[in-house]
Amino acid sequence: MGKYTKMAYSSAEEMIFGTAKNPVKYGRDFEVGGGQVYPELVPHPRPGSEETKKSLMREYERMVTDSLERAIALGFPGIQIELEHVWQMTKNPDWGGDIAGQTKKIQEDFFRKYGLKSAIRATIADNRKPDLENIRDCRSLELALKTFETSAIAGADNLSMESVGGKEISDHTIVRQDIRGVLFGIGVLGSRDMEFMWKQIVDIATKHGATPGGDTNCAQANVAMFMAGGMLDKSVPHTFAAITRPIGAARTLTAYEMGAKGPTKDCAYEDPIIKAITGVPISTEGKTSACAHADLQGNLIAAVCDLWSNEAVEYHDMFGGTTPAVFTEILGYDVALMNTAIEMGKAKDLQAMFINSDKYRDVHSYVVAPDAAYEIGKAIVDNNSSYYARAKAGAIKAAYLILEDSRMLLSNFEKEALLKTLKDLESFPDKEENFVDQCISIYKKSIPGFKPQNYGL
Amino acid sequence: MAAVDFTKIFTRYDLQKETGEKGLLAGKDEVLQRVIECVVEGDDENIVAAVGAALNVHDPMEVIREGLVKGMAEVSRLWDEGIYFLPQALISSDVMLEGIDICENKLGGLMEKKGIVVTHTAEGDIHDLGQKIVNALLRANGYEVVDLGKDVPVDNVIEAIKKYRPAMVTGTALMTTTMTAFKKIANRLKRDNIQVPFVCGGGAVSLEYVNSYDLGIWGKDAQQAPLMAADAVTGMNWEEIREKYNG
Repeated sequence: MGKYTKMAYSSAEEMIFGTAKNPVKYGRDFEVGGGQVYPELVPHPRPGSEETKKSLMREYERMVTDSLERAIALGFPGIQIELEHVWQMTKNPDWGGDIAGQTKKIQEDFFRKYGLKSAIRATIADNRKPDLENIRDCRSLELALKTFETSAIAGADNLSMESVGGKEISDHTIVRQDIRGVLFGIGVLGSRDMEFMWKQIVDIATKHGATPGGDTNCAQANVAMFMAGGMLDKSVPHTFAAITRPIGAARTLTAYEMGAKGPTKDCAYEDPIIKAITGVPISTEGKTSACAHADLQGNLIAAVCDLWSNEAVEYHDMFGGTTPAVFTEILGYDVALMNTAIEMGKAKDLQAMFINSDKYRDVHSYVVAPDAAYEIGKAIVDNNSSYYARAKAGAIKAAYLILEDSRMLLSNFEKEALLKTLKDLESFPDKEENFVDQCISIYKKSIPGFKPQNYGL
Repeated sequence: MAAVDFTKIFTRYDLQKETGEKGLLAGKDEVLQRVIECVVEGDDENIVAAVGAALNVHDPMEVIREGLVKGMAEVSRLWDEGIYFLPQALISSDVMLEGIDICENKLGGLMEKKGIVVTHTAEGDIHDLGQKIVNALLRANGYEVVDLGKDVPVDNVIEAIKKYRPAMVTGTALMTTTMTAFKKIANRLKRDNIQVPFVCGGGAVSLEYVNSYDLGIWGKDAQQAPLMAADAVTGMNWEEIREKYNG
């Protein structure tokens, strides 16, 4: 399909948790975005368990079983399990495949015995190194594609990825507050790499009857967000980090233009923008991912979710059981509250509470609130003449939304950083080819290993 | 819906912590002052001219010491006091290193470094941003960095340590399932009786894990790397450094 030129929703008001314009059905009687929110549990193996295939499979067997048992114990109607690959699961395609197959068997058993609805997302690791190898023809790519295949054949319902195209540029430029490099690394190179990767992922999924899920700008906009950190951190200005998010959204959108159907990846904080544009169901994570990292939108990011996730929790014992069991419980009750609100006709009220909790807590929360996300999405689709043009338009729109809302308070430092970023964005060339030429000339000198050929340039 | 009083929901501590003014150090003369300003301002457009002008009247080591290094010291102070953020520190570091290159060319050799540090990102891990920040901060503080890059096999790290005999080694990792390479490295070094401080940090790497093997010192953030390196080159052993930072 071509690029998106219109929004899936007529307004932000129309967007709500649990319902997506284009719901997805897969797994064991599992529908995402069809009127109900489900938990998505992401267990992570303990260090050392990855030493052998046998020990890692045993670890996953325990983690998945603990989660499903808790879901049954507490009466949760359904759950998705994400197998977010540790390096060894993608490096050895049979490991990834066999763990997916084992998980399917456990889920089928619970479905047969109790009717627990369930599904599996397999997120294959992108171990390509853009500054060190030809990322369009390397062993890491070959293994990743093979592992998509083994996972789909074994029973993964949803194939996802956290792709890293353009990371050599964005890593260097995020920490130098260089918006040109961010726009180039994420908006242009990231999008071009997504096009390359997602054509192949969609083909594999289609061939084996799996659903191509989605991607995330975890490797880039999340780097900026986590570098910005908490309110008093001094690594990257929060306003600068917030402007990387619309650029990340324009880039992540490419997966859905190449045929991905969702539900999207949980760590894609750009997902509210993606849902507004595409109508695919989204997975998000907030306060429930405190086990993996802190963020400033713990409630708000649930506002339009269809799956509610914990990002990743390492397998350990807690007083209340093992971590997969405990986090299944936390997620399960969170979504029970959302589903209660839906059933009682109070979903918009609960959504307003989620939003008001965090919208003005931080600028990054602000840009992913449904109203801002919708406006940013509209700027992206209205300027869809190139990857560059749409990413730049989304970024400029976000900057103006922040500046023009008097309730979004900024320190002098943050405001200066935002004004500088906006000024830089508005000074860049109109045409993508001119911008690309400019960037290649700058970054070939300053970033060792940057190879435009990796992106077909 | 009723108007919401957000102050009852969250506290914006960042707005209470607006910081003070930045100042500039006074250089020994006008040309060195200009070099200092370029470093403090992260001015990559004028550093070449400023260093060139300084080299017309001063010897290269003086330009490094009284201009470039002095400017970077001021940047460190501004960062410590919360006036500068990481980007300003990194840009200034880039500018300073560009200036040092020019001085070294004039000198006809490399300036004497404080010591060698071997850095790497763990095998299986491609997330090397933390390592790159560590590299920049170490270089800005006068250390020679042997950068092994990312996804580095254990054997290659051991080989580099034997070859360069560094004062300190660093390892970064994002994932708990890749940080296990650190323990393997530490065990191999111990077996070969190499007592080098091995600073490990990043992402999910915990103090508990790093302190579970000999040589391991947990690095909380990149800013600690030059401080630990300074301790290592002045003769503190790994146990003393661990006690100081992790004790």
